[in-house]
Amino acid sequence: MKSDALRGHLDALLLAVLDGRRLHGYAIIEALQVASGGALDLPTGTVYPALRRLERAGHVSSEWGTVAGRQRRTYHLTPAGRRALTEERTAWREFTAAIEGVLGGGGPWPARA
Amino acid sequence: MAGAGLIEEYVSALDRRLRGPGPVKRDLLAEARDSLHDAAESYRHRGLPESEAQARAVAEFGPLGVVAREYQGELAVAHGARTLRSLLLVVPLAHLLWEANRRFWIGAWQPFDQPPPDWYPLIATANDTTAWVVALCAVAALLAVRWMSRRGASGVALGRLAGAVAAAAVGTTVFCNLALVVATAHLDAQRLLASPPVLLATALSYVITLRCGVLAHRCLRFSAV
Repeated sequence: MKSDALRGHLDALLLAVLDGRRLHGYAIIEALQVASGGALDLPTGTVYPALRRLERAGHVSSEWGTVAGRQRRTYHLTPAGRRALTEERTAWREFTAAIEGVLGGGGPWPARA
Repeated sequence: MAGAGLIEEYVSALDRRLRGPGPVKRDLLAEARDSLHDAAESYRHRGLPESEAQARAVAEFGPLGVVAREYQGELAVAHGARTLRSLLLVVPLAHLLWEANRRFWIGAWQPFDQPPPDWYPLIATANDTTAWVVALCAVAALLAVRWMSRRGASGVALGRLAGAVAAAAVGTTVFCNLALVVATAHLDAQRLLASPPVLLATALSYVITLRCGVLAHRCLRFSAV
């Protein structure tokens, strides 16, 4: 999947990956790739500014700590981030249901009377 | 080891492209370096030689121009927020200290020999009020940055917003202060030189305003990508 198509959804994807866990940057990237079956093709360097943007928005909080013997910045959702994720999921379900209704039928367009 | 420095070369090139607050920049670069080493380690575990593992990690991280633009946005907004916080604290504090200093050395202002024109009190009031208006504008801009961040505004756009507010605030401060100095010189020039400590405090407040102007200019420079 091309990075241009993903860009608009990157924030929601990052919130979803962080749901219920604390991860450092590279673990977030790995989790995104695993969850998408490797279909997400995104320059990994753009994930970090996106995480900072989410932190600036108050959706994510981060701190430096030792993970597996190395200093790493780990991220987790804030209560505002959890609310934002719920809203994103609801909006996504409504969007996909609407698109599915139009594209998923497989039949011809109804003929005009 | 062939290609052993590819990650360091990439991070150094990124470092050279980025402009912004040192601690934020160091933090971003440290995280980028960690991520690149993590990715290279992952490829090494899959059996790739060091040089190829690093080359893949760098390729995966993204083209330098694309990544630098995203990082620069974060540096721009970080500097913008810092500038707005500086304005919020420093401008009213400098005004309060100048007023306290003036009251200590001069006391209450003596009336002019002849009543000043109607426009003079307006200029004096505008000058006295500017510091508080600047503080209010800084608070409003900080809230706007927060609100716009939640709506996905880019760091570059927010850096520009902060820079525009800061530049306008500094410009207004300088304009109102110079207007009062010129008006006072026109009516009673001796009043400006009445007290050396107050003169010194005035010079200091100009230095502070100049520093705020430099910060505002950097906001606009860091967000020019």
